[in-house]
Amino acid sequence: MYRNSILALLTVWCLSLFAPVANAQEPDLQAIIQKLATSKNFNQTKAVVAELAATGDASVAGVLNALSEGAVYFRKSDRQVFVVPGRGNTLELFDPLTGEAAGEAGKRELTKVRVNNSLRRSIRDAIGGLTLASEDPTVRLNAANTLAANPDVDALPAIEAALEKETDEAVAMRLRQAQAAATLISDRTLEEKTTAVTVMTSLGNREALAFLTRFEAQAEGELKTLAASGITKIEKSLKLWGMGQNIWYGVSLGSVLLLAAIGLAITFGVMGVINMAHGEMVMLGAYTTYLVQEIIRNAMPELMDWSLLIALPLAFMVSALVGLVLERGVIRFLYGRPLETLLATWGVSLILQQAVRTLFGPSNQEVSNPSWMSGAFEVGLITITWNRLYILIFALCVFAILLWAFNKTSLGLQMRAVTQNRRMASAMGIRTPWVDALTFMLGSGIAGIAGVALSQIDNVSPNLGQSYIIDSFMVVVFGGVGNLWGTLVGALSLGVFNKFLEPYAGAVLAKILVLVFIILFIQKKPRGLFALKGRAIET
Amino acid sequence: MTGKLKTLALASLASTIMATASFTASAQETIKVGVLHSLSGTMAISETTLKDAMLMLIEEQNKKGGLLGMQLEAVVVDPASDWPLFAEKARELIEGEGVASVFGAWTSVSRKSVLPVFEELNSLLFYPVQYEGEESQRNVFYTGAAPNQQAIPAVDYLMENESVERWVLAGTDYVYPRTTNKILEAYLQSKGVAAEDIMINYTPFGHSDWQTIVADISAFGSAGKKTAVVSTINGDANVPFYKELGNQGIKAEDIPVVAFSVGEEELAGLDTTPLVGHLAAWNYFQSADTEENAEFIEKWKAFIGDENRVTNDPMEAHYIGFNMWVKAVEKAGTTDADAVIDAIIGVSVPNLTGGFSAMMPNHHITKPVLIGEIQEDGQFETVWETSGLVVGDAWSDYLPDSKDLISDWRAPMSCGNFNTATGQCGGKGVN
Amino acid sequence: MIFTHFLKKGLTWPITLTILVILASAFAVPFLNLYLDTAHPLHIPNHLVGLYGKYLTYALLALALDLVWGYCGILSLGHGAFFALGGYAMGMYLMRQIGPRGVYGDPILPDFMVFLNWQELPWFWYGFDNFWFAALMIVLVPGALAFVFGWFAFRSRVTGVYLSIITQAMTYALLLAFFRNDMGFGGNNGLTDFKDILGYDIQASATRAGLFSASAIALALGVLITAAITSSQFGKLMIAVRDAESRTRFLGYRPEMVKLFAFVVSAIMAGIAGALYVPQVGIINPGEFAPANSIEVVVWTAVGGRGTIIGPIIGALVVNAGKSWFTGAFPEYWLFALGGLFILVTLLLPKGIVGTVRDGWAKLRPAKQPPAQDDQNKTTASKSGSQPQAAE
Repeated sequence: MYRNSILALLTVWCLSLFAPVANAQEPDLQAIIQKLATSKNFNQTKAVVAELAATGDASVAGVLNALSEGAVYFRKSDRQVFVVPGRGNTLELFDPLTGEAAGEAGKRELTKVRVNNSLRRSIRDAIGGLTLASEDPTVRLNAANTLAANPDVDALPAIEAALEKETDEAVAMRLRQAQAAATLISDRTLEEKTTAVTVMTSLGNREALAFLTRFEAQAEGELKTLAASGITKIEKSLKLWGMGQNIWYGVSLGSVLLLAAIGLAITFGVMGVINMAHGEMVMLGAYTTYLVQEIIRNAMPELMDWSLLIALPLAFMVSALVGLVLERGVIRFLYGRPLETLLATWGVSLILQQAVRTLFGPSNQEVSNPSWMSGAFEVGLITITWNRLYILIFALCVFAILLWAFNKTSLGLQMRAVTQNRRMASAMGIRTPWVDALTFMLGSGIAGIAGVALSQIDNVSPNLGQSYIIDSFMVVVFGGVGNLWGTLVGALSLGVFNKFLEPYAGAVLAKILVLVFIILFIQKKPRGLFALKGRAIET
Repeated sequence: MTGKLKTLALASLASTIMATASFTASAQETIKVGVLHSLSGTMAISETTLKDAMLMLIEEQNKKGGLLGMQLEAVVVDPASDWPLFAEKARELIEGEGVASVFGAWTSVSRKSVLPVFEELNSLLFYPVQYEGEESQRNVFYTGAAPNQQAIPAVDYLMENESVERWVLAGTDYVYPRTTNKILEAYLQSKGVAAEDIMINYTPFGHSDWQTIVADISAFGSAGKKTAVVSTINGDANVPFYKELGNQGIKAEDIPVVAFSVGEEELAGLDTTPLVGHLAAWNYFQSADTEENAEFIEKWKAFIGDENRVTNDPMEAHYIGFNMWVKAVEKAGTTDADAVIDAIIGVSVPNLTGGFSAMMPNHHITKPVLIGEIQEDGQFETVWETSGLVVGDAWSDYLPDSKDLISDWRAPMSCGNFNTATGQCGGKGVN
Repeated sequence: MIFTHFLKKGLTWPITLTILVILASAFAVPFLNLYLDTAHPLHIPNHLVGLYGKYLTYALLALALDLVWGYCGILSLGHGAFFALGGYAMGMYLMRQIGPRGVYGDPILPDFMVFLNWQELPWFWYGFDNFWFAALMIVLVPGALAFVFGWFAFRSRVTGVYLSIITQAMTYALLLAFFRNDMGFGGNNGLTDFKDILGYDIQASATRAGLFSASAIALALGVLITAAITSSQFGKLMIAVRDAESRTRFLGYRPEMVKLFAFVVSAIMAGIAGALYVPQVGIINPGEFAPANSIEVVVWTAVGGRGTIIGPIIGALVVNAGKSWFTGAFPEYWLFALGGLFILVTLLLPKGIVGTVRDGWAKLRPAKQPPAQDDQNKTTASKSGSQPQAAE
C-alpha cells in the first residue's frame, strides 16, 4: 500500500512537471535539496524544507512528500540525495526533482534522511501552500484543511484568490473557513470580521467553535456579543450532532454484537445447545482471515483488497467443519442436557484456544484493513469510519440471509419445526439429528464469518473468542431465545444503550450497568424480549 | 467402598509428600535460576518471550563456563497469568527448588503478589518491566523503568519539540496507569498546564470499542491548542485503539500518541502504516545502532529460530539484570542472597544502547531514555534521547505522599521508605 | 429437628469416615510440617502446607456448589463471586491489620489508597479492623447477595440455562466493578502484602499450619452441614425440586423457597471458603470473579460426582493437584488436559468418579446394601433418569 501511494505520487508529480517550470531555477533547487544530505538534526532539515517552500516552486512538492513519507535517502559515498520509494536490500533510486530513474544502490550504501512529526507537519504546511493551485481536488482539499486548521494572516490573499477560482464545494467550504479564521486574527475592518463570525457560526463545527471561543475572549463590543451568540448556537447544534454520533456508535457496536451473537442464536435457540466454544469459532474465522492474508501477501499481493471476500467462504467452511466435528463427536450424545453441553463445549473451547496458541503462538497476528475499509467520511458532523459501516452492512446482510433461509427454505422450515416441538417434528418424519447437525454447522459457520469481520476491528489472538462469548450470551438471552428478530433488536438496543451510558458513566460502569440491566430484565421477562411461545425450551 | 477411595487418595497424597521431600535432599552441583513468567493465560502474549530470553541468557552464560565454576540451571514454572499462583510458584521455586535468584513477573499485581514471599524467604527477584514506582523492596531489583525514566522525559520531549499544550492521559484502569497519570498530572501542572487542558480517561482491560473515546480525544484536540495523547493503555486493548485512531484519521502530525506500553512485540500484531509517527518512550529499541545490540539480536534470532522475531525493552532489562546478578555473585563469591544484595549495589554492566547501566542503592538502575517514532516496518526510530543516564527514582517527587521518601539499601540506612522530613524509616506516617 | 434426624439417619459411615479423615489431616499435616525435621522423609515443606490448605478451600467451594447444583438443580456459574466476596471481606480485615507497617506508614489508610491520594477511609471499610465484624461480613455479604439475587430470580421462575447465564452475568459485572480503582478495593492489584491475622504473623509456619487446620475443620463442618441438610426431609424436597420442579409446586410446596434456602447456605459456605483461601495465598484480586473460574468449579464438582458429598471434595483435590503438577511439568498442555477432562467427564462419566465407582460397586454386590446407601443410590439413579424428562 505504501509503495503504491509513493508510486502514485511520483506519477502525479511527473505529470505536474509538464506544467511550465522556469528552467533557470532548477540548479538552485537542486542545490537546496542536496542540503538534506548534510543536515545534522531535525531543525536543520526543517530549515531546508522552509527554504524549498519559499521558492514557491510546485515541483518541489514531490520531494517534500517523499521526505515526509521517509523515502528520501542520500548516498554515503557522494552525499547525493535520491527518492527511494522501494523496500528491500537493493533499492531503485529516483532523481528528487525530475523523478527520473537514477540507478540502483544497496541498502547499506544509503542513509535515510530522518523525519519526525514536527518536520512532517512543516512539510505538510509547506505543501499546503504549494498545492492550493493543484488540479486534483483532493490535493486542494488537503491544502485547504491545513490552512483552515492553522490560520495564517499572510496567506489570506492567496486564500481569497483560490476561493474565487474554486469550483469544488467541499474545498470552497474549507477555504471559507480558512478565510474567516484568518480574518478574525487579522487587523481587517469590523465589517469583514462580522462576516467572518457569521461564516464561522454557519459552519458550526468544532474547529469553528474553538476559533470563535478564542476570538470572543479578546473581542470587544458588538463583535463580542455576536461571537458569544455564535458560540451558543454552535454548541447547541454540536450537542444534537453529538446525539446522532452516539446513535451511530451504538448501532455500530450493536452490529458487532449482532455478528458475534447471531450464530449462537441459531445453535442455542434451535437446539438448546449452550455452545461455549462459540467464541472460538469466531476466533477460527479470524485466524482463517489471517492465513488468507498471509498467503495473498506472499503470493499475489495485488489481490490484497479482495482478501476479505476470499476469506469469507473459507472461514465459513473452516468453522462449519469444526462445528460438524463437534456436533458429531460430542454434542449429539448430550441432547436434552443443555447444562452438560455447556461443560463439554467449554472444554472444547479451552482445547481450541490452546491449539491455536500452540500453532500460531500467543501473540497477536497482523490482519490489515483492505484499502476500501480504511479511513472515514463525514455526514454533517458525524464521522463514520468505513470499516464500521461495512461491518454494519455485512451484519444486516447476514441477518437478512438467515431470515430468508429460516422462512423460505425447507431446511429452515424443518429447523423451526424442531425448535417448536422436537418430538412432534420427529414424529412427522423430520430427521431431527440431521437437522441438528446442519443447524450446528450453520451456526458455527456464521460465527466463522463473524470472525472475518471482527478481525478488522479487534485483536487476532487466541483470546479473541473469550472476549465476545459473554456478550453474545447476554444478547441472545436478552433478545429471546430462538428468535432472530430478538437477537437483532437485542444487539442493537444493547449497543445503543451502552453508548449512551458511556459519556456519563465511563466505559466500565456503562458495561456494568448494561449487565445489571440484563439481570433485572430477565427477572421481569424470563424468556427475553421476544419470547418464543411453546413448550420447546422448557429446560 | 468410598472408604477405599479415600485410602487411595491418602496413599497418593502420601506419595506426593515423599516425592517432594526427596528432591530437596538432592545434591547441588548446579546453581538454579528461577524463571517465573506466565506461559498461558492472558499474559502469555508478553511473558513467553521473556522466558525464552532468560533461557538464552543462561545458555550463553553456561557456554562462557557458568558461574563460580558451576553450571547454571534454569527452572521454568508457569504461573498461568493467575496472580495467587505467582506467589505459590515463587514459594515452590525458592523453597522447593532452592533457586539462587528468580527472574520474572510482568504485571504490577503479579509483583505485588510475590513480594511477601521473597521478603519472607529472603531470595532475589529481578523485575524487568517498566512500572509505577512507589516501591523499593530489599529483595527486589527493578531493572525496568521507573516513571521518571520513561513518562516524564516523554512529556518533556512533547512539550519542547512538539510544543504540546493540551494533554490526554488515556490508560487502562489499573495501578500503573493510575500512578503514572497522577505523577504526570502533578508534573504538568507544575509546568503551568491548566487543569482544563488535561483530560484523563480510563478503560477496562481488553477494551475493544474505542469509537467514543477516540472521538472524544479528537474533539478535545480540536480546541486550537496542540494536543497529544499519553497512552498507558495495556496490551491487547492497543490494537483496536490504534486501528480506530487510524480509521478516524487522527494523524501523528495532528495528535501524536506517545505510548509507554507499546513495544516491538505489540506492533508485530499491527499494520503500522497508519501509525507512522506515533511515539513510544522506552530505554531500548531494537533499532538501537550498537554492536552489543546487533550481537544480541543475532543470538536471539538464532536461539528462537525465527528471523522475524523482534526484541524489546523488557528483554534488555533481563539482559542487564542477569549480567548484574552474575557479576554480583562473582564479586560476592557466593549466591547467598544477603551477600549478593550487598555486592550488587554499584555493579555496572553494558546495556544494549551503547552505555553502561549501574545498580543504584535504591535497587533501581540507571538507564538512557529514548523516544522513538513508529515506522512502517514495525520498528521505532529514535528521534530523541537523554544526553546522559537517568537514575531510577523509587519514590516520585511529584506525589505529595512520596516526595519526602527516599530509598537506600546500603548500611547503615537499609531502608526502602526513609522519610527525609522526619528522619525515620517507615513511610510518610500520619497525614 | 434436622439435626437429631441427621444423627439418627444421615450420619452414614462414609460421611463419618470422610469427616474423620479430614479432621485427622487437620492435625497430621501441621504435625508433619512443624515437628518433623526437614530431612525426615515424611516432613511436609511449608509451601506444600499452603498448597494443601488452598486445595481444601477449593474443596469447600466445590461442596457449596454441589449443594445447589447436585442436590437442587441450580447450576450456578457465579459461585466464584461468593467465594471472592468472602475473600475480600477477609482481605479487608487483613489490610486493616497492617496498620502503620505499610510502605507509606499511614496508620489507617491501606497503601493503595495513599497511592491514589485518598484522604480518608471510605465508609464501607469501617469496622473491618475488628475480626468479629469481618467474620460477620464474610457470612453476611455473600449470603445477602445470594438472598437478593435468588429472591428475584427464583420468584420470577428463572430456571435452567437462563439462571446459569445470569449468574454468570452477575459475577462478570462484579469482576468489572472490582477492577475499577474508584471502587476502593484496590482495583486490579486487589488486596495484598498482609502482615498478620489475629495477632499472629501470617508468614510464620505455625500460622500457616493453623490456617490449614482451620480450612480442614471448616471443610469437615461443611460436610456435616451438607449431609445434615441433604439427609433431612428438606433435603428430599430439594431433590424433588431438582427432578421435577413443577410437580413439586403442584403438590403445594414452594420450590422458590427451597431453592433460596439452598442458594443462601451455599453462598455462605463459598464465602467462608474464600475467607480461608485469602490468608493462605496472600492476595485477593478481581481475577477471582472471572467467569472462567466459576466454570472450573463446576468441573471439579462434575469430575468428583455431583449429588454426592464426597464427590466434589475428591474432584477439587484431584483436578487441582493435577493442575499444580501439569503447570510445573508441561505448562503448554495443561489447557488440553483440562479441556479434555471436561469433555470426557460429561460424555463418559456423567456421574463423576464417586458416582461411577458406587454404581460399579452396587452392581457387584446388589444384595447387601445398607439402607442409607440405598437411599443415595436412588438419588443418583433418579437424577440421571430425570435429565431427558427435563428436556420435554
